[in-house]
Amino acid sequence: MKREFTCIICPNGCRISVEYEGTNIKNIEGDECPKGKDYVKNEITNPLRVFTGSVLVESGDFSLVSVKTHVPILKKYLKKVGEITHRIKVKAPVEIGQVVVFNLLNENIDLIATRKIKKNYLTTENF
Amino acid sequence: MPEKEVIIIGGGAAGLAAAVACQKKGIEDILIIERNSYLGGILNQCIHDGFGLEKFHTSLTGPEYAQRYIDQVMDKKIPFLLNSMVLNLTPQKEVIVVNHHGLQHYRAKVIILAMGCRERTRGAIGIPGARPSGIYTAGVAQELINLKNYMVGEKIVVLGSGDIGMIMARRLTLEGAEVVLVAEKLPYSSGLPRNINQCLYDFDIPLLLNHTVVDIEGNGRLSGVTIAQLGKRGGIIPGSKRKIACDTLLLSVGLIPENELSREAGIVLDPITGGPQVDERGQTNILGIFVCGNVLQVHDIVDNVSLEAEYIVEGVAEYLEGRLNKEQEIKIELGEGLRYVVPQTLHTLKDTIFSFRVNQPGEKKVLIFEDNKTLIKKKSLRRVNPAEMIRIKLTSRELKSIKSIKVRLV
Repeated sequence: MKREFTCIICPNGCRISVEYEGTNIKNIEGDECPKGKDYVKNEITNPLRVFTGSVLVESGDFSLVSVKTHVPILKKYLKKVGEITHRIKVKAPVEIGQVVVFNLLNENIDLIATRKIKKNYLTTENF
Repeated sequence: MPEKEVIIIGGGAAGLAAAVACQKKGIEDILIIERNSYLGGILNQCIHDGFGLEKFHTSLTGPEYAQRYIDQVMDKKIPFLLNSMVLNLTPQKEVIVVNHHGLQHYRAKVIILAMGCRERTRGAIGIPGARPSGIYTAGVAQELINLKNYMVGEKIVVLGSGDIGMIMARRLTLEGAEVVLVAEKLPYSSGLPRNINQCLYDFDIPLLLNHTVVDIEGNGRLSGVTIAQLGKRGGIIPGSKRKIACDTLLLSVGLIPENELSREAGIVLDPITGGPQVDERGQTNILGIFVCGNVLQVHDIVDNVSLEAEYIVEGVAEYLEGRLNKEQEIKIELGEGLRYVVPQTLHTLKDTIFSFRVNQPGEKKVLIFEDNKTLIKKKSLRRVNPAEMIRIKLTSRELKSIKSIKVRLV
């Protein structure tokens, strides 16, 4: 399989074309530097992403708190983590960096809050 | 009428950075006026990460980036009004504000415009067809999903490959919706490469270049759109029309600086950027009115908004100290290859940061600054892309004793 990558490590944005099968790289071409090569290798063998999403909040000044994984996770886990975020709920107040879920998927991934939510005594649930 | 030293209209990325920078310059009497019920502006709904790489050397989400500035505003007790909308701005630097106390009048020595931008809508691009529900601009969908907890639909077509459109394609996928495709009228994406990769490619969402939506169907709710391929001159290629069933259409078709207040105050706007024409310190044609952020020019990276705000506050401080003089007036002439330049005019020849956007993607280009055919500065660019703003600093030494400037890309 042949694929062209735009390297996102630095603003040069090199186009690097790669021939590979599964995770086996056959050929890398383009005006790449070692960083670009590493980037493409990682993208094919072990692509990592930070998951970002949101979780319901009970009695907060917002009805949702935005969350992210504390470290980049395997791309294949993104959708699974997304499904987990739909099933949980946290109580206000919430601080930035507060752990919302420990040890997601038993992979040592923590889901942490990225927004400050104050307690709102007037709101009813879900609004 | 209460008088302030500096009034900042807008409490988003630009307004907050300007307020913090003013405070650091020793300006005490500041007031931020914010229309929404919270500070931070659009950053609040941008819950994805990738912000702050340049400013804080770490990857933050939008709310985290905003909080860094909100914390400083709170810490330094910089005054702000929430739920307060500026209805009118005069050339005498008076503002009329409306909020739950009624109408209030303020006067300021300096006004900083930081109102941001808004999205182009279906009306602006004139898509024909029915008028059902289910058609949103990408930013509105982002606000509904990320802040208000409303899901916009189940089967989605995105028109326009702007960054917000692509980011929403990923967000909707992770929220369980099916994103059928992203259609882009131009032969290249109008968003950043990392978003094409991480938002579309990661989720196998097709990006159809040279395609647009030519018809909309639906009675009550959207039931489908017709897309077509465009030829080299932008006309529809015969036989290329096809119907796509969907219940939601997201539009990510450009941003417009929000300059109604500026226009009423008599501030001269640049027809290309949609923002005010400014000099090297971000000052408009009205002395003491400065501009920064997306209301000046639409940025692709928030870090540059913060940097621009800090940069124009240099001029604000000089103005308040009576040190900002118009020594001369040099209009910057725009040559081939470039869509716009900010600033449009120089009044002094101090160190100046110029921002550009190019007309079309290209490789191995050279940006040339000339003074009547004498070279001022040359900068080689390996790759240029209309989606990526180019920022270049010219020092006072390089600008010394010039009489004119022409910039071009070859």
